[in-house]
Amino acid sequence: MSRPDWIVLVVTLLAIIAYGLYKSRTSRDLDGYILSNRTVPWYMVLLGIMGTQASAVTFLSAPGQAYTDGMRFVEYYFGLPLAMIVVCITFVPIFHRLKVYTAYEFLERRFDLKTRALTAFLFLLQRGLSTGISIAAPSIILSSLLGWNIIWTNIIMGGVLIIYTVTGGAKAVAYTQQLQMIIIFAGMAIAGLIVVHRLPPGVGWKEVMHLAGRAGKLNIVTTGFEGHKGFDWNDRYNLLSGIIGGFFLALSYFGTDQSQVGRYLTARSLRESRLGLLLNGLVKVPMQFLILLLGVFVFVFYQYNRRPVFFNESQLTTLAHSRYGDSIRVLRERYNAEEQERVALANSGGGVRLDQLEVLQAADRATVKRWLGEVGGDANDTNYIFLRFVTDYLPVGLIGLLIAVIMLAAWGSIAAALNSLASCTIVDFHRRFSRQPLAPEREYRLSRWYTLLWGIICVAMAQLAYNVGNSLIEAVNVLGSLFYGVVLGVFLVAFYRRKVGGQAVFISAVIVEAGVIVLAILGKRGIVPLSFLWYNAVGAVGVLVLSEVLQAVIGRARKYDKNAMS
Amino acid sequence: MEQGKDRGERAPLFGKWGYWYALVAGFLLLCIGVFYFLTKHFS
Repeated sequence: MSRPDWIVLVVTLLAIIAYGLYKSRTSRDLDGYILSNRTVPWYMVLLGIMGTQASAVTFLSAPGQAYTDGMRFVEYYFGLPLAMIVVCITFVPIFHRLKVYTAYEFLERRFDLKTRALTAFLFLLQRGLSTGISIAAPSIILSSLLGWNIIWTNIIMGGVLIIYTVTGGAKAVAYTQQLQMIIIFAGMAIAGLIVVHRLPPGVGWKEVMHLAGRAGKLNIVTTGFEGHKGFDWNDRYNLLSGIIGGFFLALSYFGTDQSQVGRYLTARSLRESRLGLLLNGLVKVPMQFLILLLGVFVFVFYQYNRRPVFFNESQLTTLAHSRYGDSIRVLRERYNAEEQERVALANSGGGVRLDQLEVLQAADRATVKRWLGEVGGDANDTNYIFLRFVTDYLPVGLIGLLIAVIMLAAWGSIAAALNSLASCTIVDFHRRFSRQPLAPEREYRLSRWYTLLWGIICVAMAQLAYNVGNSLIEAVNVLGSLFYGVVLGVFLVAFYRRKVGGQAVFISAVIVEAGVIVLAILGKRGIVPLSFLWYNAVGAVGVLVLSEVLQAVIGRARKYDKNAMS
Repeated sequence: MEQGKDRGERAPLFGKWGYWYALVAGFLLLCIGVFYFLTKHFS
């Protein structure tokens, strides 16, 4: 990176830290630290919700996903707008009326302590692990593309934000997320405009869409029946899994995950919480569409410009030092010569030779991936595509800004996660199991210490994830869906099945959770092919049905006991 | 739980939740329609 890029990057990051510290004054109690004294307006709730959901990987992966797999990933969000209405009608008013700090507090009032402790524990486990990964994943990409030291990258990605998160709690998180989202949108918009501007003269929107469509990148609506005799349950993104699976996932994430609940509980009123959530439902699909469209434009851009044989250069270095060292050198020389010819032909109208070169280069790329697989390297370069484009083709200054965008996206979601992890630890465990009531000042100080502790744990976890490798990252990516459905099921029983008690729902949650984990293991081995999005629906419906059955059995047993005693 | 009372509360902007359901369903259908057109027209 050049000096101007470094200046842009450092100034942007320092500005966020300074702004976070400037806005960090709150009352020295839990209400101030966890809920920002419930003073946040709806537009900040909206930006906070969006900033919490959109991590660095969102902005790195999504364009790469569109480049390789097309735009069907947008279907993942189709269930979200409907889920927002249900959350607003069912979850939010109860949380507001009971004036809870965490979602799990409500479960003790409705059921019992063990149900609250179980769901809070599942949240800490899942959110703690996934926060570690959301630090590690972009750090690995940045460090390998820019040659940065991984430990320092992890510390900047997940450690620096601890300064303002510890100091200002939810208020600092809300205000910095607002500024971060503005910078992120501006950066992505500028990147999009530059891609369009750098396309050859005569290649307009229509040509871009036709080219992308012919290459199968505009597969925005898919049914899951393509190329199959019946519905493909293992297909990750299609209309049905997006609407149904995505609905349950969004319902669970926004209704029961403290990292989101903590954002909208900071709102100054019930109306402001609801407005933030509802508008999030309306902007999320178009926003994701535009990010994916950027990936499609990058794909078209590379049709007229030189593209590497593999976007993750560090893996090519790995190959160069393996038994394929000579082979990869020969392949790269040949590929580069072909690439020069291909770009010249593409810019002068194409022809049969261009099609031949495309076929040859596709074979070269497949060979590189096969070799990487054989030497134990990372054969997936999807997450590197967008950033490689940024570093190779964007002008000086903008590279720094786009790296800052990635960092800020990470900070927004990680800061919210740390705040929610600390909230859950102090409210659902420390305060709840404390023998003596804690003074407000002590609760405030403990919350700050827990925020710091979770920050250190998550950065350490990121370093561990780097050492263990990609397998852990992939496992944790689906981890949320393993737990979300069951936790959602518990909340749905609480809201809609009033006759079901704590014992029945607790046993159901444990049994169904075990079932979902078994399902995931069988899925991994190819015995039960079911995409991870469906686990949310299975978990939620499983708890609803089983708790009803168990309640009937327990109720009957109690009745029998009473009769026997009398 | 007083869910009946909560459901009866006014929805933001439009007052009734039915309007939000209609807006969101219409918006989703519009998105899916436009996306379907793009998928088919440019494939």
